Amino acid sequence: MPIITVENVNKSYGELRAVSDFSFDVDEADCFGFLGPNGAGKTTMMKMIYGKAERDDVLSSTIKVMGFDPANNPLEIKLLSGVVPQEDNLDEELSVFQNLYLYTRFYGIPTALSKKRIDELLDFMELADKKNARIRELSGGMKRRLIIVRALLNEPRLLILDEPTTGLDPQVRHLIWDKIRKLKKEGVTILLTTHYMEEAFEICDKIIIMDKGMKVLEGNPHDLIANHIEKYALQIINKENSLCLEGKIDNNIIRKEESEEMVVYYSNDLKYLEDLALCMDAGDFYIRQSNLEDLFLKTTGRLLNEDQ
Amino acid sequence: MRINKVRVPSFIWRIWSVWYRHYSVYFKNLLTNAFPPFLDPLIFLVGIGVGLGIFIGKMEGVSYIEFLASGLLVSTAMFTSAFECSFGTFIRLEFDKVYDGMIAAPLSAGDIFLGEILWAGAKGFFFTMSVLIIVKIFGYIPGPMSYFTPFVGMITGLMFASLSLVITSIVKTIDQFNFLFTGFISPMFFFSGIFFSLQGMPPAIKVLAEFLPLTHSVRLARALCFGRYSIVNIADLLYAAVFITLFGYLSILRLKRKIID
Repeated sequence: MPIITVENVNKSYGELRAVSDFSFDVDEADCFGFLGPNGAGKTTMMKMIYGKAERDDVLSSTIKVMGFDPANNPLEIKLLSGVVPQEDNLDEELSVFQNLYLYTRFYGIPTALSKKRIDELLDFMELADKKNARIRELSGGMKRRLIIVRALLNEPRLLILDEPTTGLDPQVRHLIWDKIRKLKKEGVTILLTTHYMEEAFEICDKIIIMDKGMKVLEGNPHDLIANHIEKYALQIINKENSLCLEGKIDNNIIRKEESEEMVVYYSNDLKYLEDLALCMDAGDFYIRQSNLEDLFLKTTGRLLNEDQ
Repeated sequence: MRINKVRVPSFIWRIWSVWYRHYSVYFKNLLTNAFPPFLDPLIFLVGIGVGLGIFIGKMEGVSYIEFLASGLLVSTAMFTSAFECSFGTFIRLEFDKVYDGMIAAPLSAGDIFLGEILWAGAKGFFFTMSVLIIVKIFGYIPGPMSYFTPFVGMITGLMFASLSLVITSIVKTIDQFNFLFTGFISPMFFFSGIFFSLQGMPPAIKVLAEFLPLTHSVRLARALCFGRYSIVNIADLLYAAVFITLFGYLSILRLKRKIID
């Protein structure tokens, strides 16, 4: 049985439709990712899960989270969930320990247990030596990890992460991914939004690509790449160098995408791309496997929309 | 699969946990937070009370310094709670995003802002008590019942917290609080009977003063200090009860829309 069921959910802000007729299910202990450009409605969808945003009052719309409807029982859902919001919101005045201790009060966790859990989780997130530090002494990556610790204090069944690694260095990102994998193994269900295709690819069992409040694609990231985009990409860094290709291209086996300065040819036929590239110098191009980012750009477009 | 017992903390616990949050943050920097508002009324007391008191004989039957001291007991409660729930709340709401974190915990918007109003009430109590202790030492406040004035401070704190929260739910930028302070709080400080008796004022001002929350706080504080109780004090208490309920309710209703989309 799915831990989250969303059916026909809409959310409007005045004239703007942030989320449009959205449905999906999340299975227990899965990592479920939302991808999409800024303004696609990812955060709004997440907020509706834990009652930070109220869905439009449409008769046919349903949200069930661990058996509860956020419209009626938001406190029960929040008791069983941990939330890492997009923006850091730690109490700058207080120490690491105090920040966490205050949150254990909100959950009604007994003092002795709170202290034990804080130590364990700081250890888990490799922040044990920062226990008594002030928030403003922490780096961006430490703050982010601390907020994850805060979201884990109540031993949640569901962990909601809104862009958990945006703006962090690779070491911290990999550390956070590793911890997320570990939590998943322990049976925690994870819901996350991200701009990093690599992140979705590394840790998500299932993703939804959203655009303009609507679902564009849904599925396992590996399957999506296998089924919705050509296998290989020939990327030419400087468009001028691709002039020698003109006239040689068979549009039946190749798809072209270009920006102002760059051009990419996609195909399932690796040999064909290699042959095509022969007329260029070695440093002017490279051939690689298509990735989630290619798929993302294919489905949501290369150009910016007005919300980005 | 993890098994969780679904037992949300009780309403009282939730309110307390929010109260405790504010308490912890405030006491972290107690000296810088609490010293100026504590000193303020004492400066007025010495500057105006002692200086001007020499030229003023009696006011409402007591010495001027006693008259002024009894009024200043509650003005700090007003200022401290008005600041807490205007600038303080606005910063937590718009800059520090404190409520975004709290609303993700098992707390409702009602819990969050009710806890905040009660915290401001506690601050009112605390500040009136601190000023009371000092003026008691100097002997400016007679009467054993004056020891109950911190409760008037608490009522004052609750009134100005609820009012300020409503203003906070309306303002678009932090600068707009100047309207609240210059336009409302500061004039009230002077026209609520703290510095001079309202008895000799023109009828229009007398009537106007009755609408101001601080007037009722001052009258309650004086009743306790000088043991002059009257039926009017019941009306003062009623005014406060209605004021807190009305503005408290309105503030929660409006601020809920600020933290839940």
